[in-house]
Amino acid sequence: MMKISLDPRTKIFMIFAVSFIVMVNAVTPLEWGIRIIITLIPIILMITEGKFASAFRFSVLYAAALLLLKFFISSESTGFISAILVGYCGIVAQFMPAMITAWYVIRTTKIGEFMSAMQKMHVPDGISVSLAVVMRFFPTIKEEYGSVCDAMKMRGITFGGGKVTKMIEYRMIPLLFSCVSIGEELSSAAVTRGLGAPVKRTSAYELRMKSSDLIMISIFMICVILFISAKYFG
Amino acid sequence: MIEINNVNYTYKGSSDSGLHDLTLHIKDDETILLCGASGCGKTTVTRLINGLIPHYYNGELSGNVTVNGKNIAHTELYDLAGIVGTVFQNPRSQFFAVDTDGEITFGTENIGLPPDEIIRRKENISEEMGLSPLLGKSLFALSGGEKQKIACASVSALMPDIIILDEPSSNLDWKAIGELKNVIRGWKEKGKTIIISEHRLWYLKDLVDRVIFMQGGCISHEWNKEEFMHLSCDDLKKHGLRPINIEEKYIREFGSVIFSSGTQASDTISSENSIQIKELFFTYDPPKYLIRKKKLSAENSANYTLSIPEINIPAGNVTGLIGKNGAGKSTFLRCLCGLEKDCPVKITVGGITVSGKKILKKCYMVMQDVNHQLFTDSVEAEVLLSMNTENKAKAREFIKLLGLAGYEQTHPMALSGGQKQRVAIASALAADADILLFDEPTSGLDHAHMETVGELLRDLAKSGKTVIVSTHDPELISICCQYVLCLEKGRVKYLRKV
Repeated sequence: MMKISLDPRTKIFMIFAVSFIVMVNAVTPLEWGIRIIITLIPIILMITEGKFASAFRFSVLYAAALLLLKFFISSESTGFISAILVGYCGIVAQFMPAMITAWYVIRTTKIGEFMSAMQKMHVPDGISVSLAVVMRFFPTIKEEYGSVCDAMKMRGITFGGGKVTKMIEYRMIPLLFSCVSIGEELSSAAVTRGLGAPVKRTSAYELRMKSSDLIMISIFMICVILFISAKYFG
Repeated sequence: MIEINNVNYTYKGSSDSGLHDLTLHIKDDETILLCGASGCGKTTVTRLINGLIPHYYNGELSGNVTVNGKNIAHTELYDLAGIVGTVFQNPRSQFFAVDTDGEITFGTENIGLPPDEIIRRKENISEEMGLSPLLGKSLFALSGGEKQKIACASVSALMPDIIILDEPSSNLDWKAIGELKNVIRGWKEKGKTIIISEHRLWYLKDLVDRVIFMQGGCISHEWNKEEFMHLSCDDLKKHGLRPINIEEKYIREFGSVIFSSGTQASDTISSENSIQIKELFFTYDPPKYLIRKKKLSAENSANYTLSIPEINIPAGNVTGLIGKNGAGKSTFLRCLCGLEKDCPVKITVGGITVSGKKILKKCYMVMQDVNHQLFTDSVEAEVLLSMNTENKAKAREFIKLLGLAGYEQTHPMALSGGQKQRVAIASALAADADILLFDEPTSGLDHAHMETVGELLRDLAKSGKTVIVSTHDPELISICCQYVLCLEKGRVKYLRKV
């Protein structure tokens, strides 16, 4: 499968465009059509990256929500099950596009590329470095959390023991301690390698907008414009 | 040229002082080894040179430190980045990027080098250090040795004159230590000044020019290369140092044997007085399924990460679990204590066979990073938490047994590393587990602490527990293990009496 690598700036634009569209209520078929298009694009991009399983999972969830919303639920539905369904479909159909896009962006952007894009957009180093640290920290937190959960299993502490607040405390304390100490070691290692120097940070990645970026930006731009005009100018 | 003159230093918030009137001069091109017990001030000295003291760690500093003519106290850390490079102990927490390329170029990007120079340096270094198979990978997918290599490359990319290594071998196996040694040798040949703080001495003996022995924040001895090579075992022991010359049998055990291929003869262990483990299968790449998960079984075990159809582990003994990085030692321990749900393992202890969730009650693992398994706000609560029915008197007994009396109400996180480990062991005893598993309990410990752990393991075995300890540490095996179990690619290579 051909890989379409997009510039991080395009990806950031995609996130903004999608977030805007999902925050506004869709009513007419045209509006729904635009929404479906902006959901399909990241799914297709995910397939080109070879992430078939996640693409499949996202599409099934989204399709199920749309179908249920269209054929089984109306404003007259009553009862317990339909209440749950309305909640599920509402959330999934409304916010799934943003989730998918965000997921795609996080999975396919290297920290170096991201930093370089921020520099090109003239974001201050302070902000781009802190964002990069946050991205760096997610996998660490996941790893640490996994170890803490294992330790809890060995001690026979699981949920359902009745002491919910204790459970949270037992999970959070070791996690916080190890994250704080890792964070401290991490920043000492970073400052000995020149982080924070008052020179303009450079980047090994040379970013250039390619035709695929321009096409993608235009598609999303058109979607946003169409959506706004359909919504407010009828 | 590094000059440290009459330095006194105390860390903020700590009562005992870090360094007392320390004077040390290091010539250009010299390779220096700093050794001594934990807490002797080795790391503090390295921090004086790389500027983390006084710029990152707060404390009271007097005296002065100059590196290549620059007064450290008046030089910003980023100006030192091109002069002093540091490789830290824990590969997990010194990475800034999540991919190897980004990590190697990180420093050069910070100091604002032009992109083509950055790429050129990255290519030079990867050729010099043979990193091409690692480029473009996620750092989370690398083994400990590979991570440490990338850390060295990242420091190298800044081309500093002075390179500091702070206990770089703690998490490495025998082979990775050999590779680290080659990296250090490469630096030495290029005329870099190298300062290594380390507990393991054997791999450095033919690299160092001068050895500084520290005690309580002072330099108490200095040896040149010749004198250091001829120190006797007793001399080293007197100073609380680990051996320089590893005995022949460990070179065999840890050098050629683990890294040769094929299985080797095992001693037979009768099923009496032993713990029988059956169907220890596990794979990180499970067969795809639609509705029902396939059970892992002997028929399909050819590609499993771990495949041990049957093995008897001698009860009431300490068994050392050895093998190179990635041989499946940690997976073995995780499966054995029931953390991997897909593993169909069955354990028979004293005629009773357990499997599934019940294994969690029989086995208890003390993790490599004990911080993960201490949850509560006092040592006593920690031990009580493990008991089925809380029994304060009994809890105190366990606490006393492990030499923690007087610390009952202390917060576990306020204890030292060794004490934390003992709290974890106390809660294992309280949980009434028969089989105690230890994952690398002595990585990064000095000689005295390692001996303490070894004795503790032996005592646990004497009291009837079965202890399995995974380790890269030949000295620990010589102290406490009666049997050695060697793994290779998730298969048993041999199980022998020591």
